[in-house]
Amino acid sequence: MRRRVPELCLGIGFVGIMSTLFLGLNWAPSVSINAFESPAAQRIFYWHVPSAWAAFIAFGVLFTGSALWFFKRSPLGWRLHVAGAEAGLACGLMTVWSGCVWGAAEWGTPWDWTDVRLNTFGLLTLLALFLVLGRQSQPDGVETRDTFSTFGLYGFVLVPLTYVATRIWQIRHPGPVIAAGDDGGSLQSSMTLVLLIGALSFTIFIIGHMMISMRITHLEQRLEQAQKSLDGGN
Amino acid sequence: MAAPLLSLVDVEVRRGMSVVLTGFNLEVASKDVVVLHGKNGAGKSTVIESCARLLPLEKGSVHHHGSLVVDSEGRRALAKQPFGLTLQSNGLLGDETIENHLSTVCSLSGMKTDILPILDAYGLAHRSSDRIGQLSGGQARKVAVIAGLLPAMLSPQPRLILLDEPDSGLDENALAALISDIGQLREAGHAFVIASHHPEMMKCATRLHDLESETNQEQPKCQPWKAVGTQENVSLLSSRTGHRYLRSTRAGFARNGIAALLVLGTLLAFIDPITLEKSMLVGFILAAPFAAGLAGDPVVHLMREHRAVDWWRAHVNRLPAADFFAPILGFFLSALGSVLFLDSFNWKLSLIGAGVLWVTLLCVRFIELSTLRLARPNAVFVRLLLPILILPWALVVEYSGTL
Repeated sequence: MRRRVPELCLGIGFVGIMSTLFLGLNWAPSVSINAFESPAAQRIFYWHVPSAWAAFIAFGVLFTGSALWFFKRSPLGWRLHVAGAEAGLACGLMTVWSGCVWGAAEWGTPWDWTDVRLNTFGLLTLLALFLVLGRQSQPDGVETRDTFSTFGLYGFVLVPLTYVATRIWQIRHPGPVIAAGDDGGSLQSSMTLVLLIGALSFTIFIIGHMMISMRITHLEQRLEQAQKSLDGGN
Repeated sequence: MAAPLLSLVDVEVRRGMSVVLTGFNLEVASKDVVVLHGKNGAGKSTVIESCARLLPLEKGSVHHHGSLVVDSEGRRALAKQPFGLTLQSNGLLGDETIENHLSTVCSLSGMKTDILPILDAYGLAHRSSDRIGQLSGGQARKVAVIAGLLPAMLSPQPRLILLDEPDSGLDENALAALISDIGQLREAGHAFVIASHHPEMMKCATRLHDLESETNQEQPKCQPWKAVGTQENVSLLSSRTGHRYLRSTRAGFARNGIAALLVLGTLLAFIDPITLEKSMLVGFILAAPFAAGLAGDPVVHLMREHRAVDWWRAHVNRLPAADFFAPILGFFLSALGSVLFLDSFNWKLSLIGAGVLWVTLLCVRFIELSTLRLARPNAVFVRLLLPILILPWALVVEYSGTL
């Protein structure tokens, strides 16, 4: 049963994500037509926010893995780094893509190079892409792991920066709507419920994704070790 | 009692996923010639590169003349005394002349000399003004070997010389000259660590080390080497070398200048400046220095050839850099842009452009240097990280538009 946990997480997460999509598109109330240029497009929010949440979990795992490898030389740390980078890339791309769709409808432009939140989050996604592609371009070894772990550690600076960006420099990206800190946010309870289902589903899905990714990395390492044994190395 | 010229204490080094050296200890004193031999992959080059502080240590420490140069805690310090280094790949720049390269090696030791007699011994005197890229593989190897020996040849004080497969590609005469030089330099008090399989090189060892055990050999007395260097005050070596690299290769224009001119040309081809607002025009003017900066540091690009960057990393804390190139090119490009887009020279924008190119180039250089330890640094997608520079650039453009 324990061996099936990752697949179970993926399955439950997938069902939850589909339910979120269904509820977001059909059940959740529409936003005020006075407050938004494009109220219909706002429904992509139920995809955008949970995927951003999952991306931050993945970037947290990436940072933890990078630190564990860099300071402790832990093989588990490297597997966490790989899994965090892959999951961060997947969720980051979903967030950026859905944000661009919403931006095009609401602001009339998919991207704003002067908005701090957009740029820092975009960079986190590019960092994840850099780590995933970079790892594939290099032979596995301490040099590769040290270098990419360093980037993982430095890159994590962007996570708190992204979080506080709309609180300090709100340029185009909307400010916080759930944990706003004053009156508890501006969302109706049904909207919050769909968002919470989405966040939970994405979380379960991304955990399953990372567990499978770690399993694959472990198998790759065993395969390489077996190949080295056949080559006569150590 | 004088400190040994080199000591490795309980050194452990990994390469790839393998532990190549573990619990390795070595002490090298004046007049020692330690020849490391053993099968391929045994760790000979790893020892040489660890001694030159090119590899991070998992455990242990390396000391030159009793002072720490690198340890497993990440501490790194320049060797207090100059040392000679010949890497397995030559570490030479194809566009340098032999004379210039060897003069730089002398300057790193704080000395100067007439290198022609030394080149003559290796049959290279007639090619002293030639670019290294025009030499055959064997001739380039001779230059790399001479560069490794020079710190000892120049100095009356004992120097440490690290040579990795110095015999590879050398003809019989050059090999004989090398063995003779090693003998004379040893008699003068210098010490060598040499990685080699060559029987002739093994004959000139005072200690043969197979990375597990060692045997001592007696060497016949010979005439000691007479130091040929005279003191020279050297300042700003990294900066002067960086500028010389750019002057001799024109790489700055080829990479950064052309990238910027292409951006300017493309913008002019599609856009009529008269129809645009000033803030947009300022963006176009500053796009050229920004593009030039994104093209990367041309000196770093040059030094990637034959691991020249590693050779430099072993010797200095600051790699060669053409410090004045970026601001000058940035000023020129912004001035050109302001004439093209605003119909007049704007000195404020030109100064901002100089700053944009300088800062952008520094950031790209930092990112590029961070990946140099990788096995295939050219294969990594470093430029994916460069959009980090767009936001600051956009803010600078916005500010410049208000001037």
